[in-house]
Amino acid sequence: MLKNYLKIAIKVLLRRKFFTFISLFGVSFTLVVLMVASALLDHAFGPLPPEVRTDRTLGIYTVRMELTNSFERTGAAPYWFLDRYVRTLATPARVSLYSTQRSVAAYVADEKHSLFLKRTDGEFWNILDFEFLEGGPFTAADEREANFVAVINRATAELFFKGQPAVGKTIAVDGQRFRVVGVVPNIPIFRVTSFADVWVPLSTAKSNGYLRDATGDFLALLLARTPGDLPKIKEELQTALARVEFPNAREYSRIITAAETLFESVARGMFGRDRDARNYAGYLLGLLLALAVLFMLLPAINLINLNVSRILERASEIGVRKAFGASSWTLVGQFVVENVLLTLIGGAFGFVAALFLLNALTDSGLIQYAHFQMNYRIFLYGLTAALFFGLFSGVYPAWKMSRLHPVDALRGQSL
Amino acid sequence: MIKHLFKLVWNRKRSNLLLMLEIFFSFIVLVAVMTLAAYYQDNYGRPLGFVYENVWNIGIDMNTATDDVWSAEMVSTTRQLFLALQDFPEIESACGALSTPYGLGSRQSVNEFKGRRVEMEVNEVTDTFLQTLNLQLLAGRWFDQTDDASNWKPVVINQRLSRELFGHDDPIGRPFEPWSSQEEEVRVIGVISDFRRDGEFVGPGNYLFERKRLDDPRNRPPANLLIKVRPGASAAFEERLAARLEAVAREWSFEIQPLTHKREVAMKLRLVPVILLGLIAAFLMIMVGLGLVGILWQNVTQRTKEIGLRRAKGATAAAIHKQILGETLVLTSLGVVLGVILVVQFPLLDLISTVSVKVYAQGVLLALLVLYGLTLAASLYPSWLATKVRPAQALHYE
Repeated sequence: MLKNYLKIAIKVLLRRKFFTFISLFGVSFTLVVLMVASALLDHAFGPLPPEVRTDRTLGIYTVRMELTNSFERTGAAPYWFLDRYVRTLATPARVSLYSTQRSVAAYVADEKHSLFLKRTDGEFWNILDFEFLEGGPFTAADEREANFVAVINRATAELFFKGQPAVGKTIAVDGQRFRVVGVVPNIPIFRVTSFADVWVPLSTAKSNGYLRDATGDFLALLLARTPGDLPKIKEELQTALARVEFPNAREYSRIITAAETLFESVARGMFGRDRDARNYAGYLLGLLLALAVLFMLLPAINLINLNVSRILERASEIGVRKAFGASSWTLVGQFVVENVLLTLIGGAFGFVAALFLLNALTDSGLIQYAHFQMNYRIFLYGLTAALFFGLFSGVYPAWKMSRLHPVDALRGQSL
Repeated sequence: MIKHLFKLVWNRKRSNLLLMLEIFFSFIVLVAVMTLAAYYQDNYGRPLGFVYENVWNIGIDMNTATDDVWSAEMVSTTRQLFLALQDFPEIESACGALSTPYGLGSRQSVNEFKGRRVEMEVNEVTDTFLQTLNLQLLAGRWFDQTDDASNWKPVVINQRLSRELFGHDDPIGRPFEPWSSQEEEVRVIGVISDFRRDGEFVGPGNYLFERKRLDDPRNRPPANLLIKVRPGASAAFEERLAARLEAVAREWSFEIQPLTHKREVAMKLRLVPVILLGLIAAFLMIMVGLGLVGILWQNVTQRTKEIGLRRAKGATAAAIHKQILGETLVLTSLGVVLGVILVVQFPLLDLISTVSVKVYAQGVLLALLVLYGLTLAASLYPSWLATKVRPAQALHYE
């Protein structure tokens, strides 16, 4: 029976080509936008190398420090806090501390280039799975002994050494000289945890002021032994927060933060404004879904309208089928199948267009080092959206049509 | 005639309801996009209040603990930096500032003034800020050395803030009332024209400058230096400058960037989302337009009999044209009326504050224009088809 429905559907689609074109255009355009949007989100939050163990990693991205009723500061964490209260947590298998990336100058052949520099410890390279094109990471010992060594990305290696091997050579950035020990692929700028052009040991900072600084710009990365340990880590951190002693209690006396994924951190910043440690990820997900549905509303109404007109044309066919005893439900089923088929064809066009668009976006260099790819997650989002779209816009016209009286239908009456 | 058109639309209310709904949502989308476009257009035409060409920004990362011990050392290092800048003939003038044009960070302040909330952005700058950025002084004077001795705190405000606080009265020399609760008296010494630090696309705001002294150990030194360079300063000069700064302050890091570059980045950051939104809206409208063509076309073929009857009774092609276009207009208007009722609520309920009512009205008008244009264009072809209906054929139809 389904096969029959599909055959009829194809015939109908070919009969009124203009209508088919408009419907396909609407469906594929809508899906392109949704798929590109989800590709962008996936690019920022999904598990991409080197952050592949997202099911076992948490981070400390923003902390809020308050002095009751007066000062407050929201931003990256100070070093003393992460060193004393996060590094000492018992549950995580590994803890890494690193700085936010800072733009620094490098002069190559009288030309100035801005590079992003990130300072990390040795553990950073054990938690993240960087692929090394050349050499390897620096170690905890390098960090302890303040060795001036650096890992650089492919673009920086290209900039300084023009395709020659980079390992063992020296680069000058931010007025300091580092020996290159490893080269990694370019990391897109969205990945705030791993992104940088140059990574160097924390201890090579120009001054060791960061060790004493009451504020600071450091982040932590925590790797759990099993995914089941994540809630325990979150809890342990909250307990630890209660006994934080401030180096300068006149400036700040309370600290609020949470061990969370980047998505949870963004959600907490948006909905909780970092004022508490609750998990707001559900709200953000809800908001994104609501936006997607809102965006689909106009194309869906358009498609419903088209479908109503299209079905009117087939009133006599409906009349005949009803007269021969087809139930309303059979007819609804048939029309929904037709509509879903239409949206799936539109979805396939949209999928191809999204592929092209993402490639073009990657090539345009609009977002530094971004490499947008279609993957099975985005494909699944797109497919879900297409099905939802097809059902949503197919059910109402089908239901309306199924209520047509056979006699009226046979005479070609309007609805 | 109009009454008749309404009747025709009403008779087909079931199928027209969905069309109206579509027009209603299209209108809402258009209002949002057009208001944004009108807002940017309006802002772009306003004076910026400063000159960014040939001005470079030097961001300083002091890498130092913010304990009580920092001040004396940091202040003296900053003064040495300024002395070092004087050695470069390429530099016309230099100043220090808390926040800089097209920069990201800023200090906002909200104060109570005669029961009203007055918002302003506060910047702390040194005496040479005026000449480095070419600010327009409208009244009074800018900070200078005579302020060293005064026992009150001088501030310079922009014209907008002056109007908001003092109306048309002369603000010079008046105590700055919103802050009078502070221990130190604050007085206005000068008024400048607009200063739109965030650039061309951001609306004008209230602005207040405080004086930053380089020799005052109570003040944290400025985190940014701005230098005005002579035209044609090269990257080689920049490298020498960076080396010199790093030699003076070994523990600090510097980030040198021309304001033209910062401007480009800031503009891109604001324009890209708007262009994307505009593109998406344009595609949505194309889709709605095409859909409309399809539906009206279908309507016309369905009403062949009715139209044929009218032709048989002597209606001209123009009359048929008029009827179809008129019906579309009525339909659009019904959807638009719903939309306008909703859209008018926003300024009435004070839900929009950044966009002025005038700009908002412009946005709504533009949206109306585009929507009516769209629906009319979409009904042209079907209505032309309708005029081609031949009475004899139509009466046979069934």
